[in-house]
Amino acid sequence: MAEGPDGGVWAWVMVGALFVSSGFVFGLMRSLGVFFVEFVQYFEESAQAISWITSIAVAAQQFFSPMGAALCNAYDARIVVMTGGCLAGLGFILASQATCLAHLYLTMGVITGLGWGLVFTPMVVSVMGYFTRRSALALGLGFSSIGLSSFIFNPLFQLLVEKYAWRGALLIMGGLSLNIVPCGALIRRQKQSKAPAKVGKLSVFVERPFLTFCAAITLFNAGYFVPYVHLVALSRHVGFSEYQAAFIMSVTGATDILGRVVSGWSAARGCMRMVHILILWTSLTGVFIILLPLSSMSGSYPVLLTVSLLYGFCGGALTSVVFPVVPQIVGVERMMGASGLVQLIESIGGLLGAPLSGFLKDVTGNYLASFVVAGSFLLLGCLILTTLPRFFQCRDPPPSSETFLG
Amino acid sequence: MECTWTGNQNKLPNITGYWKKDGNEIDSRLTVPLENEQYNLKGVFDIVGEESLGNYSCVFGSEAKIEFVLAAPQMGEVRDKPIVSYAGDSVVIACKMEEPKPKPSTWHWYKANGTDKALIDAAAEPHRYQIHSEGGKSTLTVRNLTQADAGFYYCGAVYLISTSLGRLEVRVITFLEPLKPFIAIVVEVLVLVAVILLYERKSKKKSITGSQKTKKEKRENSGGEESSSVRQRKV
Repeated sequence: MAEGPDGGVWAWVMVGALFVSSGFVFGLMRSLGVFFVEFVQYFEESAQAISWITSIAVAAQQFFSPMGAALCNAYDARIVVMTGGCLAGLGFILASQATCLAHLYLTMGVITGLGWGLVFTPMVVSVMGYFTRRSALALGLGFSSIGLSSFIFNPLFQLLVEKYAWRGALLIMGGLSLNIVPCGALIRRQKQSKAPAKVGKLSVFVERPFLTFCAAITLFNAGYFVPYVHLVALSRHVGFSEYQAAFIMSVTGATDILGRVVSGWSAARGCMRMVHILILWTSLTGVFIILLPLSSMSGSYPVLLTVSLLYGFCGGALTSVVFPVVPQIVGVERMMGASGLVQLIESIGGLLGAPLSGFLKDVTGNYLASFVVAGSFLLLGCLILTTLPRFFQCRDPPPSSETFLG
Repeated sequence: MECTWTGNQNKLPNITGYWKKDGNEIDSRLTVPLENEQYNLKGVFDIVGEESLGNYSCVFGSEAKIEFVLAAPQMGEVRDKPIVSYAGDSVVIACKMEEPKPKPSTWHWYKANGTDKALIDAAAEPHRYQIHSEGGKSTLTVRNLTQADAGFYYCGAVYLISTSLGRLEVRVITFLEPLKPFIAIVVEVLVLVAVILLYERKSKKKSITGSQKTKKEKRENSGGEESSSVRQRKV
């Protein structure tokens, strides 16, 4: 069976487009915190009410992913991504005119989130169409902007808010988000034959390997974000200063970028099966998450810093290999629809994970239980992945024909 | 206020101690005995008003001096960068007295008028100003902003002995200001999209003319093959 395409000039142009668009989706998502203080003061609302804005945007991105995927199968990925870019920008532009919190929920939350949902999965799948063995490397490079953009967007948005207040800053952010549109314009129709598109793709639902994969990824999501939410608080809880805690987060972000690229590059070498690599990085991430509160209890800053660096690296590493596993489970033709569905289902994990860890902290008084449970979710997800059919085989199934289904 | 000094090498049995305020001696000098290896000087002062605030020092002979600063609680961190808002919009500015410090009895807000400060009366102009004070925090909301509202504002935490002030700056801008960079970015996006789509049309045209040439060649070749097969059949 001949291998599919694995590179080419336009493939790497697409990786560049993925780099830019991922930065504008997830990098922006992670920098919305800059507006938090401004909104609390201007709208005189509680912190919880304001944090719903980001929650709605994240949930919308994941919820509308299957729809974005289905539209790509039915129509043209290019149109879908360009529309998504316009919507993402429109959401922020409209938000700049908001007069009440509900406006922000609708514009910054729903409209922008919908736009992001139409952008992310189609971009990922379009890029993967250009690669076979090196898809993990392509994605690793494409996603490396997610960590980088927090470094750039956070201070940039601070500056914009200081110069133009939150209204002007949101307007300009809307303009910047429109840069996703040229990324979408770069998508070209590929000559791969597509199976007759079924809008909805619900047929994957009844297949056990896909359900197994979804269950595992949902568990990953439940645990993965906990350190991003609680690590600063954990550091401060054991007595480190604000700057020390912020530094830990910055370096974790830096090793995240490194982990994505290194993992993508090493996965592309083809020495290990993609699903084995995923389990390797995820189980290590789980272990380091559990070690985080334990290392903080030692009271030693270098120890906590080291464990955080290792968590960042492994956490980033696993993201490069998640999507490349999908076509091995459902086949290349159904990759688009399945990726969309995975996004939707894993959002449940994300929605439940952070509040659960917060709850455990409130009940027990410290973060030990939250982090141990979060790490355990990742380890449990790895165990579930071992039940995939033909898991213990040493070689990946050849692309696009055989899948885990047989 | 109480000062304790452990003395130096020559532990004299008695030493003169006195209090100073802002560099001037107050009260009479006392003879302080050496007790348990230390000298103890206590002073009791009535705080009657703002005049009671200042730098106090207790002096032991000509050897040791300990300084106290008696002042009203300092205002908590206020934004040193100007707070920006839009004409026609409203702005909320806030002052805070940090937790362990005592809470003021009330808050006042002032608008700077040259070198003067004019007290803001929220009750007199409720559609323009709103002051919300709660213990250690106070916010001033200014509505329907105009350029005249730009400038410095002072928040005052009122205590019995004095008022602590904090200064904030408000800047009023119009929507044209962020609109300029926004339009620049939109133009950039449109140009990029146009360039990308034009480039693709150009390269498609190239490949179409190229494939037309190869199609022509194929037809010529297959024409040759057909005629040979026809010949074979005929034979």
